[in-house]
Amino acid sequence: MFVWLETTPIAQWVALSLWAYPALLSLHIIGLAIVVGIFSMRDLRLLGITKGIEPSVFISLGKLAWIGFMINALSGTLLFTSQATIFITSIPFLAKISFISVSMLLAIIIQARLSNLLVEDRYTNSVDRATRFLAAASVSLWISAIIAGRLIAYF
Amino acid sequence: MLESFTSSIIDSPLNQWILNTYYLWPILEIIHFFGLSLLLGGLIIIDLRLMGYFRSLNLETINNLLPLVICGFGLNLVTGILFFIGDPMRYSVNIGFQIKMGLVILAGLNTLFYSWKIKPTLANWSASSDIPISVKIVGLISLSAWTGVLVLGRLIPYVGTG
Repeated sequence: MFVWLETTPIAQWVALSLWAYPALLSLHIIGLAIVVGIFSMRDLRLLGITKGIEPSVFISLGKLAWIGFMINALSGTLLFTSQATIFITSIPFLAKISFISVSMLLAIIIQARLSNLLVEDRYTNSVDRATRFLAAASVSLWISAIIAGRLIAYF
Repeated sequence: MLESFTSSIIDSPLNQWILNTYYLWPILEIIHFFGLSLLLGGLIIIDLRLMGYFRSLNLETINNLLPLVICGFGLNLVTGILFFIGDPMRYSVNIGFQIKMGLVILAGLNTLFYSWKIKPTLANWSASSDIPISVKIVGLISLSAWTGVLVLGRLIPYVGTG
């Protein structure tokens, strides 16, 4: 299946076009900055490291992070097709995809908790232990995803 | 001048240490990537708000993200300098690197203008305030310059010498 994927016209275009691969890499780093940037800022706030900003701010920003995620899901899929057989056997790549899947799942849970927090406790915005734990897991997973992603080039 | 500068770096103890320390380069890259996330992730929020999006967000409040943005910039300045010292001949002559540094300077000047002229007025702003065109332009320049910095950084291996 992955061999077939590499022979599809779109994969051939990514692999052979002079500018497709660097253009997709550029999109991928912008998407990365948006997703990881916004979610880590949210997580660092929930952990109490950032001060002076209500956690509820990150409810509306969740949409922006999702746009970043979509940019990267799309650019990532296209990059993947060009060397599918190599990526699918790469341990760092598989680790990266696992980290991202779990952290996106955590993102859904944390964003839902933020909305509940807003309803229950509009003014104090105190952060409970469980949410802090989820935030710590989330930011660690994003950093792990960056580590694994970078290591794809080295293994 | 550039040549004598880069050749003075080559074979310096720091240059040798960076080149010969196994795994240092990918570690620096990982830090650089997380740093750029904090930098652009924070600025995209502030810049989009300056441009009139996310009006429900209070500008003074989101300015409290700036310490993280500066932290990201600091991480990337340090790791970036180490990349340069590790491989000065590659970066100094690379057109992508040169434009990237030009954009960093442009973004820096824009930030100075923001902190000097706009930031002191934020207390008077509300969600419904009309945003002066000059403020929208400052947001747009910041966002465009930093996006350009990311793109050009990624393109360094693909472009030639300038």
